[in-house]
Amino acid sequence: MPVYVYAITDADHPHRLDDLKSVGESSGPPTTVAGRSLKAVVSDAPADLRPKRREVLAHQAVLDRLLEDGAVLPMRFGFVAPSHDEVAGALDQNADAYAATLERLDGRVEYHLRCGRDQDDVLREILTESPEARRLNEATRQDPSAHGDRMALGELISQEVVRRNDAAAREIVDALAPAAAEVAAGEARGEHFLAVSFLVDRTRAAEFAGLVKAEQERRGAGYVLTLHGPLPPYSFV
Amino acid sequence: MTVMQQQQARPSGGGSSSLYDVLELILDKGLVIDAFVRVSLVGIEILKIDVRVVVASVDTYLRFAEACNRLDLESGRKAPTQLTDIVGDSMESGAKGKSKGALTGAVEAFSESLQRGRDGDDEEPAERKSRSSSSSTARRSTRRKEGE
Repeated sequence: MPVYVYAITDADHPHRLDDLKSVGESSGPPTTVAGRSLKAVVSDAPADLRPKRREVLAHQAVLDRLLEDGAVLPMRFGFVAPSHDEVAGALDQNADAYAATLERLDGRVEYHLRCGRDQDDVLREILTESPEARRLNEATRQDPSAHGDRMALGELISQEVVRRNDAAAREIVDALAPAAAEVAAGEARGEHFLAVSFLVDRTRAAEFAGLVKAEQERRGAGYVLTLHGPLPPYSFV
Repeated sequence: MTVMQQQQARPSGGGSSSLYDVLELILDKGLVIDAFVRVSLVGIEILKIDVRVVVASVDTYLRFAEACNRLDLESGRKAPTQLTDIVGDSMESGAKGKSKGALTGAVEAFSESLQRGRDGDDEEPAERKSRSSSSSTARRSTRRKEGE
């Protein structure tokens, strides 16, 4: 019977899973498979598992619960092993590496930060600080047919936006990193210019959140910093 | 300000964070064991299409130029006084022309949409669609910007 795999933990993790749902339609709670020194949290794999909201939430809920009680190696969503024996074999084969990672993650959680900036806010800043941008802006306002100036303005603005966003991203990470044990860059997209994860000691979580708050206040309302966490350490396994 | 935390919140059986923003972590990070097989993620590939805006393109240049032309510098310079007590003297990088009330409202609306999403429709694929169906004012405004 194929098994869906959620996570790897130490053997002595309490695994309070009885009130949780598994992925798939069979909604019994997840169980564990024991290797020689570690355990994997698993459930029967549904035949046609698809990445629906319910399934991803079920995966995440199991990991959240495991995280409450100890160190956890979160699996990426969607991995299925052919049998319980294969899971136990995989645990034993890499037991030392998994144990070392669990030790590194013990007492720590992931915080994921995304930063965006209001477009008008950055444009206003550029126009305020760059005489050339102001000149091109006026020229193209007064003469809508000035295509050369329009392209020059757009290119200048584009470069300035990237430069300022990159600088802000570096500053933000530098400001927060001192309260974190590790930093892992994510992929910023859409309205965000920064997506980054921090591995933070639980004992320093309040300090870390305080730094994020201070950074937001320092930068003002033109920036939007969104912090998610505490999360299982997906980015640090 | 949109600092969202669920440090104490532990809803049973649900995600403890905004699904959309952490979806990428759940799908793209996390441990991989080579001997195991991954289920098909058809249906959420759309996440991958939502790539970073290409900044060095004619379209982007024209869009930026147009946005600059439209920008009313004067109105942007008014109104910051009410925020001075919050952001102090470092007004260089933002906060101009925004009111605290509007921001707070946006944060509340966003949190509310997360709550709905968490308890939401089980049948909906967990992809971008789930976000466009949420009705946060904050998200609406940024999405509109993206579409320009």
